[in-house]
Amino acid sequence: MTTLDDLMKLPGAMAAFEFRGSGEMLEHRIAYPDRINESTLDLLAHMCAANLSIATMQARGWEKVTGMEGFYPIQEFTLIGFDWSVVVSGLQREQYKQAGKFSLPPFMGVVLANESADYEAAFGLLERKEPVP
Amino acid sequence: MSIVTDLLAKPGVIAAGEYAYRGDRFSYRGELSENHARVASIMCRATTMSVNMEASMLEALQPLSGLLPPRGWLVHGPGYTVCVVANVFCLLDNRKGSINDLVGFMCQALAAIPSDMI
Repeated sequence: MTTLDDLMKLPGAMAAFEFRGSGEMLEHRIAYPDRINESTLDLLAHMCAANLSIATMQARGWEKVTGMEGFYPIQEFTLIGFDWSVVVSGLQREQYKQAGKFSLPPFMGVVLANESADYEAAFGLLERKEPVP
Repeated sequence: MSIVTDLLAKPGVIAAGEYAYRGDRFSYRGELSENHARVASIMCRATTMSVNMEASMLEALQPLSGLLPPRGWLVHGPGYTVCVVANVFCLLDNRKGSINDLVGFMCQALAAIPSDMI
């Protein structure tokens, strides 16, 4: 399973964090405390939880309205800020749900400096499939 | 050429469009019906306004956080990705296009757009 330390190895990684669906932050790592602190990450986790939920609702509705497939379930939501971006995913939870597990892993997120952000690498790491224990 | 025309020439982009921040008009090109493009522009505008509100809130908590003004956002699904920068949106077929290239192009092409959302 992808860990916060794996996410911190991505190019330009400034911070990584885990959070509940309610937005409550659990574990975190911070590479540059002068640029991203725990208080910022805490609000960011709540923002990302809200945005993932809204995006999921929109993807569900969009597929029903248009008949197009390939939008749901949301794999990642990314917010591109002025200096940095945050990428969040709950995809590993889907794997646990499909395996019939009731105890689900947390959502995960990583903050990347825009000048070196590799979104596809972040998606690849967050979508990595591993056997559900 | 307009940014929408440029975006449609990119590999994997199936539709692209622009919306007014005040919500009274939109334009688009690509493989969407007029009604579906209208729905897409409304959803994209709503999310853009929402992330701008969130970034302002974060800025109030943590001045010079580096998030404000947000440039855009992505929703990555299993088959398609919605990419939005400023008031421009596009739908990308994940199998045929590069998200990194698309985001890089959009951020560069729209870097000079004022961030006051008017």
